[in-house]
Amino acid sequence: MKKYHDPVDTAVTYIILIVVAFVFFFPCLWIILASFSKSGSIYSFDGFFPKSYSLDTFKKLFTDTRMYNYPRWFLNTLIIAAGSCVLGTFLTILTAYTMSRFRFKARKPLMKATMILGMFPSFMGMTAVYLLMTQFGLINKPWGLILIYAAGAPMGYLTQKGYFDTIPKAIDEAAKIDGATNFQIFTKINLPLSRPIIVYTALTSFTWPWSDFILPKLLLKEKNLYTVAVGLMSLDETEFARFAAGSVFIAVPIIILYFALVKNLVESISAGAVKG
Amino acid sequence: MLVTVTACSDSGSDSESSKKTSQSSGTGSALFTGKLEKNVKIQVLENDTAISKGYFKELIDAFNKKYKDQGIEAVDANMDQYLDLANDGPYGYGPDVLYQANDVIMKYVDGKHILPLPVEDMDCYKEIPESAWKAYQTKIDGKTYTCAVPVNVQAPMLYYRKDLLPDDWKEKWDENGNDIPDMAESWSRMYDFSKERHAEDSKKYGYMKSLNDMYFSSGFLFSYGGYIFGKDNTDPSDIGFAAGDAVKGANVLSQLASVMNEDCIDDTITTNAYSKLGNGSYFATISTPDVYSTFLEELEKNYEENGDSKQDAEKKAKENLVMTTLPKLPESGDLTDGSENTLVSKSMGGINGYAISSYTKAPNACLEFVKFATSYEMVKKRADILGIAPAREDAAKDAGGTSEQLYKNLDSGDIILMPSITEVGQIWTPGKTFFSDLAKDVFRTKDKKKYKNEAAMKKGLEDMCSQISDAITTLK
Amino acid sequence: MTRKEIIKDFFRTSSPAVKTSLVIMGAGHLRYGSISKGILYLLVEVSMIWYLIRRGFKDIEGFFTLGTQKADAWAGIAGDNSIIMLLMGIFAWIVAGAFIYIYVQNVKGAREAQRRFEEAIPQKTLKENFRELLDREFYCLALALPVIGVCIFNVLPIVFMILIAFTNYGGNTVPPELVDWVGLENFKKLIVLKKFGPTFIKILGWNLLWAVMSTVLNYFAGLGLALLLNKDCVRGKNFWRAFPILAYAVPGFITLLAFRFMFSYGGPINQFIVAHGGFAIGFLDIDAKWSARIIGLLVNCWISVPSIMLLATGNLSNRDMSIYEAADIDGANRRQQFNKLTMPYMLFTTMPVLLSQFIGNFNNFGIFYFLRGGLYKDGYFLASDTDLLINWLYNLSIDNNYYSIGAAISLVIFIITSAISLAVYVKSPSYREEDTFQ
Repeated sequence: MKKYHDPVDTAVTYIILIVVAFVFFFPCLWIILASFSKSGSIYSFDGFFPKSYSLDTFKKLFTDTRMYNYPRWFLNTLIIAAGSCVLGTFLTILTAYTMSRFRFKARKPLMKATMILGMFPSFMGMTAVYLLMTQFGLINKPWGLILIYAAGAPMGYLTQKGYFDTIPKAIDEAAKIDGATNFQIFTKINLPLSRPIIVYTALTSFTWPWSDFILPKLLLKEKNLYTVAVGLMSLDETEFARFAAGSVFIAVPIIILYFALVKNLVESISAGAVKG
Repeated sequence: MLVTVTACSDSGSDSESSKKTSQSSGTGSALFTGKLEKNVKIQVLENDTAISKGYFKELIDAFNKKYKDQGIEAVDANMDQYLDLANDGPYGYGPDVLYQANDVIMKYVDGKHILPLPVEDMDCYKEIPESAWKAYQTKIDGKTYTCAVPVNVQAPMLYYRKDLLPDDWKEKWDENGNDIPDMAESWSRMYDFSKERHAEDSKKYGYMKSLNDMYFSSGFLFSYGGYIFGKDNTDPSDIGFAAGDAVKGANVLSQLASVMNEDCIDDTITTNAYSKLGNGSYFATISTPDVYSTFLEELEKNYEENGDSKQDAEKKAKENLVMTTLPKLPESGDLTDGSENTLVSKSMGGINGYAISSYTKAPNACLEFVKFATSYEMVKKRADILGIAPAREDAAKDAGGTSEQLYKNLDSGDIILMPSITEVGQIWTPGKTFFSDLAKDVFRTKDKKKYKNEAAMKKGLEDMCSQISDAITTLK
Repeated sequence: MTRKEIIKDFFRTSSPAVKTSLVIMGAGHLRYGSISKGILYLLVEVSMIWYLIRRGFKDIEGFFTLGTQKADAWAGIAGDNSIIMLLMGIFAWIVAGAFIYIYVQNVKGAREAQRRFEEAIPQKTLKENFRELLDREFYCLALALPVIGVCIFNVLPIVFMILIAFTNYGGNTVPPELVDWVGLENFKKLIVLKKFGPTFIKILGWNLLWAVMSTVLNYFAGLGLALLLNKDCVRGKNFWRAFPILAYAVPGFITLLAFRFMFSYGGPINQFIVAHGGFAIGFLDIDAKWSARIIGLLVNCWISVPSIMLLATGNLSNRDMSIYEAADIDGANRRQQFNKLTMPYMLFTTMPVLLSQFIGNFNNFGIFYFLRGGLYKDGYFLASDTDLLINWLYNLSIDNNYYSIGAAISLVIFIITSAISLAVYVKSPSYREEDTFQ
């Protein structure tokens, strides 16, 4: 295959990329630098950035845990996120795959129903969720949250279904001729083929608990059970530096997860599978 | 059993008092038998400042030491200070004892989520003024119940820094020669000083406060005859923010905003006041007494940064940071006309105190805790550590002039307590909207100004009232 | 056969054992030798009866009465909690529904067992059934868990909320006060109220505009970015991709608070303007209708684009590259390949994103709640000119405690919006032409 790059096109591409990178990076950089500010108050900055820097806020974030136990919140969130990531991804992929591959009577009604359910303003149902959890005795229980996140995850199956719709059915049929059951086709053939979408689903369902604070606020009453989001929102207004430091540190596991998974996200597998 | 209880209560006259408790359940709940529950943990919800400044730890440590033998242990409820007892309590997830403002506590009375207390039998009863108790009283079927024990008064206070006064303030800014700078006594002089300070250095300001904070801004309306609800704040069908000459208060606010900058439109000043008073950009602001320690800390930090030793900084900060009652207002409602007739500033206030949840398993132990926490020693300690204005007169006297003055204001009706009816929740957003519009107007160009004269301001206030009334009545 | 005939036929041809399964579940199975299945059905019936006695009957009764005894903590009366009764009532209906489904399966299964017995075909064993679940009926097995989960944590709350619209829950009528059914009272109020209509129309108009604009913006920006990063000439793709990911890693509410601060009067942007001799601009303040709306749009774009980009990247890598090789051989240039192959493919596979973006943006609560919450504008009833319907609902039902009215409004909104989006969805290619690329 010939590789010829139009230099003008390349230049324009890079200019756009630099602009995009700046747009995304600048606010992040601002938060990051603010978290290293020495004064601890965002209002003492001249212009965008702090005058002097220190590691004190991060030290404080992890050691001064009497009022705001950030390490604990972090651990709680990690557990909840990991739990709902595993369960939620599994359920979502299963649902999407089924809706994409099988034709059955209830399919179209189900698709329409989930579509409609998604339109409902979710916080209106929060009272019910809270009361339900009090009845099940799941208040102040992290796995109660995992349950809700995981149970709600399949509602967003559409994106994943769109992906499965693009995996050629020819592969399935070949396997069927070889005598594989549908279950085997799913686990042995389609799952490995859909690594990118699984990674995407895992990433999104892992990230969600990090930023959600309505549900954990509702269900976790004790401060040492808080998630990072709830904890940060409960900070006193004078605790800006702590807030910034906490916000920056939230991003760490997500970024690590991204870099660990990025290879799977962009790897092209299905093309090879069809040919091979 | 009763003998052990009485022997271990906190002050001398207790054997008498606990006998009374068991007999007179007249206003207290029948649950208060005086018989202490054994081996119980009571969850206490305190406010965040008390916890972070270490007062709360001292309180529960002292309590636990004393009641160890009885098997009573007080612990930090470890919950959000703004939790909703009505939502959590009935399902068993609320605290046993809670420290809250009167409007929050009284909100729970309708649903009977908190217990009426036998307050006449408590040793703090006589020390706390009638006006403070009144904030927690409710009448049901002709009987008066008291639902919490007052600890401290919250009302807007003026904070300023003595060391930012001009060197010659005694000559120029103390006309009556009482050693108190005039700007702390009169809003008109505060206005003059703010103007002067900003003119000298465009980065410096005098008085600064975000207008959009209804809690602080509404006081200016009250001073000229405005009120929240009719019939002593019990009738939500009568909303009085535009009543009397309230519009003059709006005018004063607008004049004050004109010596600030655009930051007064949103909540910028409210959140940065601590550090900006600390670094000297602002000379004065208003806030509640419970954040005194935060202001102090910021100031200390600033002195330290400028080269003072930790001890010196502490000492200097304590000397220079002044917290006092609000300055007087001109009767005319114009800060610039130089008139001598003044009015006492009224303000919205609240009383914080301890209440006991109806869902507690150990009401008597809780009552014991409340008695302990409202004892002279503990309240005094609270005042020392947090700088609050105690409700107990004996502690208030020790704490110095400000608290006493606050009590006078409370008695004379110059502190208007936040209404205890639920409808009060619906005044905040309309109020915030109007006050930020008023502040914004100061910075609008002439042709775009909305509030050019008093009539326009009056209309604005009336619109705000009708918004509140809409919120309250339309959907009922 | 009509239903009547089916029933007649059932009683004519069924054996006594099958008829017995009408009363004692599993009897038919037991009679014809499917012991394990028979026992399972029997167990279901026993536990259902146990549930009904333990709380089912009470819950269903409570569903209708919503409580008769007011609680009074001072007098030590525990009393009824109307809202819990409503909730557990709905729960009981769901359990009853599930039971009826199993019951019908039981009768059908018994008939089938009888048929097999009469025709001397061996009965299906549980193992065979199980195998079927893994194969032909794989979808039943796969969907069982998600459907149950969604029913309990999504459908149940929604049903609860819809029913609340027909009660007087809210204001001062919250537990321990007893709540009552009031029929269509709340809806009547909405029609009678003059203030409601204009606000609704204004907010709905802005809400639709917002949903369309932000969806289009986010979608094309995300897709464009993915395609841009996928260009052959871009080196260090992972490096460039890391910037949006960084943005993605910071939780949305923090981003929103940070942007709110940046655009506030004391924020760095205004500091910058003032330092250079300008006047501070109230980007998000009370007069800022369009500037706040546009900032909202852009900030939302900033938040949403990375995840769309991620997804599109995943989809791009899933292309069948052999088509491109074929195109190369046919002499198609890169532009033609892009227009004829890449774009249609991407549009098709990411179409669901458009839909979920639309739904998500339509109900985007956070953006204006964090950026510009707490204002009521003239001409709006308890709302401001940037509020979306969901923000307005929040003002009504949470800030002002009008749960039942809020529920009624959300039901109205819900019916309108779901009708629109359902119509669009049913016409969309990802619904109608699912098999294009399969």
